[in-house]
Amino acid sequence: MYTVYRAAILGMSFSLALTTSPVTLYGGEDEGMCVEAGVPYYSFQLITTKNILGTGRGRGSVEVTFSDNSPFGISVTSDGSYDYDLKLSLNRIKLRGEGRLVAWVTTRDLSKIRRIGPLDPYYQVNGSVDWNKFLVVVTLESNDGGNSDKWEGPVVFRGMSRSGMMHTMVGHGLLQEENCFAYGYDG
Amino acid sequence: MPAMTPSSGWRMIPMDMNMPMLPGLEGAVPSVGAFLPGVGIDLGTIPLARPSAIVKLQRGDTLDLSVSMVRRSIDGTEMLMFGYNGQYPGPLLDAVEGSTVVVRVRNEIQMPTTIHWHGVRLKNQFDGVPGLTQAPIEPGEDFIYEVKVPDAGMFWYHPHVREDVQQDLGLYGNLLVRSPDPEYFGPVHREEILVVDDLLMDGEGLLPWGKESSTHALMGRFGNVMLVNGQTDHQMKTKIGEVIRFYITNVANSRTFNITFGDNRIKLVASDIGRYEREQWTPSVVIAPGERYVVDVQFDKPGETVIANTIQAINHFRGEFYPHVDTLSRVMVSSQINEEDLSDSFELLRENQEMISEIENLERHFNEAPDYELETLVRVKNVPTPIVISMESDTLYVPPMEWNDAMPMMNWLSTGKEVTWILKDKTSGLENGDIHWEFERGDIVKIRIFNSPDSFHPMNHPIHLHGQRFLVLKRDDIKNQNLVWKDTAILPVGSTMDLLVEMSNPGEWMFHCHIAEHLHAGMSFNFTVREY
Repeated sequence: MYTVYRAAILGMSFSLALTTSPVTLYGGEDEGMCVEAGVPYYSFQLITTKNILGTGRGRGSVEVTFSDNSPFGISVTSDGSYDYDLKLSLNRIKLRGEGRLVAWVTTRDLSKIRRIGPLDPYYQVNGSVDWNKFLVVVTLESNDGGNSDKWEGPVVFRGMSRSGMMHTMVGHGLLQEENCFAYGYDG
Repeated sequence: MPAMTPSSGWRMIPMDMNMPMLPGLEGAVPSVGAFLPGVGIDLGTIPLARPSAIVKLQRGDTLDLSVSMVRRSIDGTEMLMFGYNGQYPGPLLDAVEGSTVVVRVRNEIQMPTTIHWHGVRLKNQFDGVPGLTQAPIEPGEDFIYEVKVPDAGMFWYHPHVREDVQQDLGLYGNLLVRSPDPEYFGPVHREEILVVDDLLMDGEGLLPWGKESSTHALMGRFGNVMLVNGQTDHQMKTKIGEVIRFYITNVANSRTFNITFGDNRIKLVASDIGRYEREQWTPSVVIAPGERYVVDVQFDKPGETVIANTIQAINHFRGEFYPHVDTLSRVMVSSQINEEDLSDSFELLRENQEMISEIENLERHFNEAPDYELETLVRVKNVPTPIVISMESDTLYVPPMEWNDAMPMMNWLSTGKEVTWILKDKTSGLENGDIHWEFERGDIVKIRIFNSPDSFHPMNHPIHLHGQRFLVLKRDDIKNQNLVWKDTAILPVGSTMDLLVEMSNPGEWMFHCHIAEHLHAGMSFNFTVREY
């Protein structure tokens, strides 16, 4: 649905570009562009890999808010990166067998990985991150092997911060349709 | 010999080579005329501006304040700018809490002007809003302001006529109101003022502003030259172990700064209108246009350190964040040890019981439903098509804050003719000037503001209320743990903030975004506080 809408918008823009006439747009009318309102705007979904029995129908989300200890209304680190609190939750999970689910944050090139921690019995965990673009990964770790700095078990869920959707005009070109599904968004 | 001021035609704005011009925009200029002050005037006839001087004001004192053209040299380029009493910034007015001073203003520039006493809860007729509290001060005319300062804090004064032009040209100064309590703040070795700003320049000097309407209406006019106290090469000397209190004011049109002090620790003690409930450590100071923060910093390593604006800028062309540092000031820390060791008091994080008690008296209002709800939006029309296409292709992610002008040409070409920034009352559906709220003196009012990401180009807004003070109770439904009285607060994209406003000061007041170009693109309304 999204891709169809987006293609229509871009196609319309392209047609207008050919006419060189200015375009009139009104605020709030471009719904359907993967835009959500309010706190959910920076939140994102976790997508199951369907690799582990009992998680194939699972759904997940990460709520992203600014760290609550900032006195400035927005929390950033000394290098200017956003300092976010994360609330991760999964549902529709019926995990069978050994192991526990552990959440991690990582940069998109996987060069840096930080452990958020094991999910509680309600499949929830809170953490934080101070990278502007990041991935959240949930893995299945052995019962006694979940304390390492890097995951060892299979990836069960994964998702990308909304900032990962910031486009490069170098690789894609202005008018190329972007495939949200490829990034794990089904909106 | 000084040159003549340049002609007032449009010149292409400086572009970062990482962000090439969009196809179809070659030769495009804003849809409004270009404006530079004093075009054709022999700069040699204009007096050279002087650095800011401190003016200690006693109760009942009268100060004469001229608004005039000055000659400034910035990065080797001589330019005509504006100044209060011929100074940059304007004189630092140092007054005592509770006092009243009289300021006689004479307008000697070629534009109407006023002076707004930002954050001061003074009598309404002296608030400096043209068409609301006074008529503009026309060239050659005078106006007498009676400035009563009921609160301790760092305030500032600036015009409320075309701030995008006049403030940018140098019309700003601080008003430091001191508490009579000698222990209001902890001990420090000395105090410093940091007024941070940016200017948009090229090799010829200042880039023109829009004549009939502001340029840079989408994101505000970001500069490419950083100023501290009007200087591009601000420097300080200190001794190892010295504790310095910095009073920081952001007078930029649009830029929010993330200020760091090298590796030195920063203790946050106060903001716009007084102290925090509790002092706290902070890795940096995030300060939006119009805001003030007071921090204590101990310099504990010898050598040079820098006070810097340290951000993750955006490169839209590459779709990435990148680290960017602007040096604001160089601090030389000598190895000479200060005689008086204030390390112990610096380590102490004080609780301000007076503020905590004040807050406790208001706690019964914290969980009440909002009295009003606002939403921020933007509406655009007749925007050049390449801009629309480009922005449509990059709408999947909008950053919470715009720390840099990542689309300088698109921003420059957007003027108040094409862009309307909107404060919308969600209950009535009214927008900007059609909104009018009425209160009685003593009302405690909760206002919820949501910065909608669902519009053409959402952006952060520093929200400013005239004549009153407020607390930021919650952001995104998360309770603020350390309150302070504010008059200006950042609202990032997608965020919601709850303000608790103490309607303590009768009159007709403004509510607006403090990005100068957003204000001039409509983002304001008035409210009334009546005496009962």
